[in-house]
Amino acid sequence: MLKKIDLDARLFVGAALALFFIGGTLTTVMPPLIDKSWGKPFENSDPSKGPTGKLLPYTAQEKKGLAIYTREGCWYCHTQQTRTLLADTKRSGWRGVDAPVSTPDEFVYDSPHMFGTKRTGPDLSHVGGKYDAQWHRTHFRNPRDLVPGSIMPPFPWIANNEEEFQALVAYLQRLGRAKNWRPDNDYEK
Amino acid sequence: MEEQLVIESTHAGTRTVTPTLHRDATAKWFLISSVSYFFIVGMIALAIAAKFVWPELLGTVSILTYGRLRPLHVNGMLFGWLLACDMGLTFYFVPRLCGVRLWSEKLGLATAGLWNVIILGAVVELLAGHNQGLEYAELPMWLDILVVIAWVMYGTNILMTVATRKYQQMYVSLWYTMGTILWTPFVYLTGNFATLFATGVNQANLNWMYVHNAVGLIFTPVGLAIAYYFIPRASNAPLHSHRLSMIGFWSLAFVYVWTGAHHMLHGPISQWLQTIAIAFSVMLLIPVWTVVYNFFATMKGQWQLVRENVSLKFLMSGVVFYLLTCFQGPMHSLRTVNAIVSKTDWIPGHAHMALLGGFSFFAIAGTYYVLPRIYNTKLYSDTLANWSYWLFMIGGLGFFVCLWLGGFWQGWQWNNPSIPFIDTVTALKPIWMVRFFSGVLMFAGITAFLYNFMATILYAGAENETHA
Repeated sequence: MLKKIDLDARLFVGAALALFFIGGTLTTVMPPLIDKSWGKPFENSDPSKGPTGKLLPYTAQEKKGLAIYTREGCWYCHTQQTRTLLADTKRSGWRGVDAPVSTPDEFVYDSPHMFGTKRTGPDLSHVGGKYDAQWHRTHFRNPRDLVPGSIMPPFPWIANNEEEFQALVAYLQRLGRAKNWRPDNDYEK
Repeated sequence: MEEQLVIESTHAGTRTVTPTLHRDATAKWFLISSVSYFFIVGMIALAIAAKFVWPELLGTVSILTYGRLRPLHVNGMLFGWLLACDMGLTFYFVPRLCGVRLWSEKLGLATAGLWNVIILGAVVELLAGHNQGLEYAELPMWLDILVVIAWVMYGTNILMTVATRKYQQMYVSLWYTMGTILWTPFVYLTGNFATLFATGVNQANLNWMYVHNAVGLIFTPVGLAIAYYFIPRASNAPLHSHRLSMIGFWSLAFVYVWTGAHHMLHGPISQWLQTIAIAFSVMLLIPVWTVVYNFFATMKGQWQLVRENVSLKFLMSGVVFYLLTCFQGPMHSLRTVNAIVSKTDWIPGHAHMALLGGFSFFAIAGTYYVLPRIYNTKLYSDTLANWSYWLFMIGGLGFFVCLWLGGFWQGWQWNNPSIPFIDTVTALKPIWMVRFFSGVLMFAGITAFLYNFMATILYAGAENETHA
């Protein structure tokens, strides 16, 4: 068999593509058909089944914020996933409350997805409502004014552009808010 | 009998082919542009490494901010340097392994031209922030379409050359090159087009399938094609085992495509899919170890050649880095290890060992081997070539080792939530300093490589003129 493929280019092409498509289809096309939570927005009104809340579609302004987040490459340094690791739920938590683990149904409207692969800065999956707009403005002008030792670049062209700044903040404030996980509802605006 | 055939086909090029048969114009242009991009994008690499140490550097200009330069570094190195250089080298050895001329030099030159349009377009678009927001798939749609067109032009040329071959048996390098040509369109279309019709986790899964297979089914097979061609050539020994190379090839073809989800271990993606990805990631040891064993066995009794031959130096160090990086990969697919290293600075250390230490070393080796032959001259300076090797080697090791140590340490700190996040950032500053200076050494290596390359071409031109 191997020897035959060695001599016949057409047989080679067929075999190489067949092997590729077995794994390719089973790992990309099939999973969303089996696991429905990939495409169904989060919604829960029963506190006994975990945090309540509902994932809302993006507003026009939030969408613009996501576009700015994408354009500036924020996602190269900030992940957006609270993983199934105890430390992740604590680090994404706020004022003593641990954040819930991220689930696929919280990201149904995200395109491009912003899960990220590298965590040079902190994870932002639950950053929504932690800091107010004034904090963000100062932080974008120069991150080191608020967080000494930070290596985040300054973004004066966003802080000084009212429309872009408001859009980006609107986007950030929505992150991790589908699940109502903070009992005091102490979200900053 | 089988082994005999292989030896013959490996040596076929030198036995029957006269030097005038091959024109190599396409190979020349791909190599010239890729080596130039290596240098240019190397400067961007240094700039972003510097930004980790001095975050204010060039920081208030939007087009020079980290988030704009990083995609330019990644895409520039992947497509401007490495893939273009790999294509140039296949344009050299495919006609030789087939015993015929390249099917069409005109088409080849048009491909080289189009490839340069794509890279220059990418520079403008990425600096302007026109980023699609998906890793390795940052380029805007019009450039994606041009990439597909260029790939079809490239694939047609190579496949037609294979179709018109004189020698029936196909050497390993031909399979790997053809595999690359066949898989790339599907991998690329998944990452750049199919993702646009999906959102959230579904999109991420397609994205990681593309990212992983861009390395596994594009850079790996074409890189191995190069190593399979140049290791026996540079050491003047036949390949150890043809059968082993077949096992390596077909297991790679089957196993790689399943592993994409290991980029999201512990993340919001189905657990069973994570487990499948882990199982197949571990199975990757099979294609890797068969390939590496074959290379080492080919070198048996010939290791003294490494001292004198700069191509072999790069090739065999590349094999060692390939072995190491492909041992790391399966290991940090395991959940326990992943919980420490994932998302840390370990990961760029790992990625750079694969693409720089492994596949770029193969490409540099191939370029050093091919250059004097296509220009019918001698390499400008062997000493400078040796310098470039040691600069790459020491800079590379400094880079890899400091990021592994730093990344592991960082991961442990993250797993202790009583350490504030910012303290885990400041702790890594010495590591990033070492990374920057390792980068300076590697950039010096690139500079020596570029200078040697260009000087060889210019001297060859001058020599030919005096002869005429």
